[in-house]
Amino acid sequence: MNSMNQKKICILGMFGVGKTSLVERFVYNKFDDEYKSTIGIKVCQKLLSPIETDQHKIVQFNFLLWDIEGAEVITPQIQNYMIGAHGALIVSDLTRPDSISVANNIVEAYQQTAPGTPFVLAGNKFDLIAAESENIQQLEELGETLKAPVLLTSAKENNNVEAAFEKLGLLIASS
Amino acid sequence: MDTLFFENLLSQNLYGFAYLSPESRVVTANKRFARFTVSTGDVQRQSITQLFPETFGLEAILSAIIDGSQPTFSLENINRESEDGEINYFNISFHPTDDADKPLFCLITDVTDKATLQQQVNQQRNEIQLLEGILKAQSSEGFAHIWGDSEPISKVKRTIEKIAKIPTATILLTGESGTGKSMIARIIHYSSQGSQAPFVEINCAAIPDTLLESELFGYEKGAFTNAMTTKPGLLETAHNGTLFLDEIGEMPPKLQAKLLSFLETRRFRRLGSNKEISVDIRLITATNRHLKKLVHEQAFREDLFYRLSVVNIDLPSLRVMGDDILTLASNFVNGLNISYKKSVKGFTSEARNKLRNHEWPGNVRELRNAIERAMIFVEGDAIDAEDLQIGMLSSSEPSASPLERFKLPPEGISFDEIEKKLLQDAMAIAEGNQSRAAKLLHLSRDTFRYRLEKYHLI
Repeated sequence: MNSMNQKKICILGMFGVGKTSLVERFVYNKFDDEYKSTIGIKVCQKLLSPIETDQHKIVQFNFLLWDIEGAEVITPQIQNYMIGAHGALIVSDLTRPDSISVANNIVEAYQQTAPGTPFVLAGNKFDLIAAESENIQQLEELGETLKAPVLLTSAKENNNVEAAFEKLGLLIASS
Repeated sequence: MDTLFFENLLSQNLYGFAYLSPESRVVTANKRFARFTVSTGDVQRQSITQLFPETFGLEAILSAIIDGSQPTFSLENINRESEDGEINYFNISFHPTDDADKPLFCLITDVTDKATLQQQVNQQRNEIQLLEGILKAQSSEGFAHIWGDSEPISKVKRTIEKIAKIPTATILLTGESGTGKSMIARIIHYSSQGSQAPFVEINCAAIPDTLLESELFGYEKGAFTNAMTTKPGLLETAHNGTLFLDEIGEMPPKLQAKLLSFLETRRFRRLGSNKEISVDIRLITATNRHLKKLVHEQAFREDLFYRLSVVNIDLPSLRVMGDDILTLASNFVNGLNISYKKSVKGFTSEARNKLRNHEWPGNVRELRNAIERAMIFVEGDAIDAEDLQIGMLSSSEPSASPLERFKLPPEGISFDEIEKKLLQDAMAIAEGNQSRAAKLLHLSRDTFRYRLEKYHLI
């Protein structure tokens, strides 16, 4: 693997939104219903399927996934974790509107630390809410404001998980 | 400090360390350093990112430490899972040295004990917060967001927004049964006084008159036969908060006078006491009856009516809320998905039409019950029309009992008039035989006669 194609991806979001579940579903294709809070960072890697860019180039990334502990406030230590990132998946829990509001602050801190790098907003636990939910609207409005793609994911039902990381890969490839 | 002494000290204290070249490759390292790396081979000359992938992306930072523009850098609580599945935690930090061949010193600190403890604390704290969130979503406080955008509900929202800023306003909530008066009372309370201030609720129709008085105003020990101890009333309990009196139209006249007196002076006496007590409360009252009509019928004090209706919020019935019905229904589905551990995504188009076309005489309460019933029985990921057992109580339904067929008109109706009509009908069916007429209404003959006298029917 060409080291140029190794990319550091930060998984960020409030506690309990399902960051670890998304990573575990993506990397190991497993899901555990039991909540276990993450302390610090857990790094693992996943080779993405080849992606065709808008310029019809085929690229393949090896994502180094940084599963970062959940926080409502971004501390200097969490900012240290973000240094050198090539992209981020900002995760919200669609059943908790507060986690969507916090995502806005997280994006701000992320953009300060890794300016110009792309990010995707993931609305996780989509399996638990109705399609017309106001929380989805709230997340989509945030996506419009931040000009970031929004994907509604479910780590539990393996819904859109790979698509969220692939979308991020595409954005990195074209950035 | 002597380098050897320093290195021995670090090794004694279970630290791992290494000196790195300008290219961030290991020049020398102690044995313990290798225990934290991801590769099992010799660490010599390996790049730090190969040994610790967590340092990937830090090239610029490490160069800055070497050239002196950054003093140190650290990453805390890095997780490393052992082969037996146990998670160990360590900190990694980088420091400059005076040696040009090995300008970086990398220190690894095992912090497993501390981090494990921290993880347990966070786990409990987060679990509590997540559970609180679920409870909040299902409790009245969680409804601090009023769902819907239709004009009638937007008007209610605007009014609440205004009155939330005026903590002492007395508010009267009117509207059909099931329109959410109790919920709105809580929203007003929480949006203006916060969760710390008391919210005290009592239903005036649910308890006997004498008990209602002692509940509201409290009593002193010995004030009446069973007053074994002194008990503060709900007015005192609600001090610096909100007192919500539901079904105010059912309050007996004697108590109406006492409540009016309190509202004028903001003072009252406990039963059996001469001492006046002063409290600061916001009073919210609610009724589904036509209070003005009750005033005309002299069943409700006019002066109290004006005192209570400083601000009157008339809550719309569900049938005038248009597509807000669907918004409400979706939000109920969201909440119940969590409670019932289901993954229902919404409604089929037939179900949506059924929701839109139903009259909802029981308003939001009826809607919630219909959705809850549907959530129990739904098998797919969308609620279908046949899952929604609504419209079962309409007047055309042959199996509905007379009581079920009766619907309270939206404009309300005098309870006394209904009672009088029932007595007259019973007498007509029983052809004037009072015993038979009493039986028809499931009353004793004495009670029946008492009521006939009350309405001057004999």
